[in-house]
Amino acid sequence: MFDDFKASLRGDAEEIASRLRTPSIRLFAGYCGVILLGSAVYGSTLGIWRAPLQSLYTAIKFPLLIFFTCAGNAAVNGMLAQLLGSGLTFKQTSLAILMSFAIAAIILAGFSPITFFIWYNAPPLGSTNEILGHSTMLLSHVAVIAFAGVMANQRLFGLLGKISGQKAIARTVLFSWLAGNLFLGAQLAWNLRPFIGSPALSVQFLRDDPLRGNFYEAVWRALQHLFL
Amino acid sequence: MQNQPPPIPSKPDQFVFEPMPERSSVVFVIEALLKYPGRVIHELQNNWRAALAFWLFILGLFGMTVYGVVVGSLTGGDQMWIAPAKIAIGTTLSILICLPSLYVFSCLGGIDTRLRTVSGVLFAAVALASLLLIGFAPVAWIFSQSTDSVAFMAALHLGLWGIGMMFGLRLIDAMGRLLSGSSRTHLKLWGFIFVAVCLQMMTTLRPIVGRSDHFLPSEKEFFLAHWFETITARETKRIGVPN
Repeated sequence: MFDDFKASLRGDAEEIASRLRTPSIRLFAGYCGVILLGSAVYGSTLGIWRAPLQSLYTAIKFPLLIFFTCAGNAAVNGMLAQLLGSGLTFKQTSLAILMSFAIAAIILAGFSPITFFIWYNAPPLGSTNEILGHSTMLLSHVAVIAFAGVMANQRLFGLLGKISGQKAIARTVLFSWLAGNLFLGAQLAWNLRPFIGSPALSVQFLRDDPLRGNFYEAVWRALQHLFL
Repeated sequence: MQNQPPPIPSKPDQFVFEPMPERSSVVFVIEALLKYPGRVIHELQNNWRAALAFWLFILGLFGMTVYGVVVGSLTGGDQMWIAPAKIAIGTTLSILICLPSLYVFSCLGGIDTRLRTVSGVLFAAVALASLLLIGFAPVAWIFSQSTDSVAFMAALHLGLWGIGMMFGLRLIDAMGRLLSGSSRTHLKLWGFIFVAVCLQMMTTLRPIVGRSDHFLPSEKEFFLAHWFETITARETKRIGVPN
């Protein structure tokens, strides 16, 4: 199993594709386990600046965000993979997407000591430089998550290219999955907020009435305030 | 034909990937680090022994501690043991913080290796940097005895540390090359992260060069903000601007 993860990180598309040809419960459980552990560890460093309790809440919610996104889009991703000619079955599609999230989770877990160190040195909540602390934490996490996401998708692209045999099909399938996952993932992140926690608001597992409102309406209102 | 000079024997490549001599002692390890670092990487990858990794780690800590005594000699007194203690602790913490990401970045760079190999190479890189710092110690000591300026000595120590780190990171880069990594960009990026963590660690554990009433600072600060404050305070003092 450990060799599978190393092969995934290395981007050894040949080896990963050979595993995917015979999808197993063991592989499925392995990827889920790594996502749970890696994203929980990283999630704890996401919330720790606000409060230790926020750290615990985010450690629980970050893996949930990933699993809900995968589960919510499982059917449509499987269908798109078949419609666009990738050659992947529903099971293989789910495993491939879980693999990419597992790669991201491993990278995030690797960065956890560094983000924890950044938190240790950031001006704390309640200090005169609290805005600097909050901004530094926010930007650091955005950079780390973006890096992990790019690497994971690069590996997924390589795998799709190997399985489909054509880069154009791999590109189309990847972008269609990305579009769906980002669209749903952004909304789920909105529903499951807060992750980092705002200094102005209390520490909560979920905001009051978490299903009210949506991410895209909030972005639209923010744009309106900015430009109008 | 008879007057032609004999061909110059080719110098073995520093980073040739070959085993170390059978009877290896600490002296051989130091020689290999300086002259044939490729041999150290070969041993860590193909003939891993806990003793080798352990000695590399101890060598790195020892070198940093010895240099720490020179750092503390500027102010003297308690700094003669506080500076080496902080440098040794800071080095250990920096290694621990950055080791998981080094392993991940090695894998991302296409290297098929184990965590223990990567750990050993990181210890070797720090050991090499510390050997260079021991070499620079007399130079740093002479300057520390001829100035009272904390800012000047901090800048000098930082520069010498930077030179040592450059050679240490070159070893990390060689690991990528020798272990057939498909891309060395990831290891270069990791190098920047490691340097940033080390620079921040110096600020977290301040003061190392100067003196303070407390072992650790009470205020949290990022290293760029700390340097800016130090330089601004120095300029304010120099041109006599009232606070």
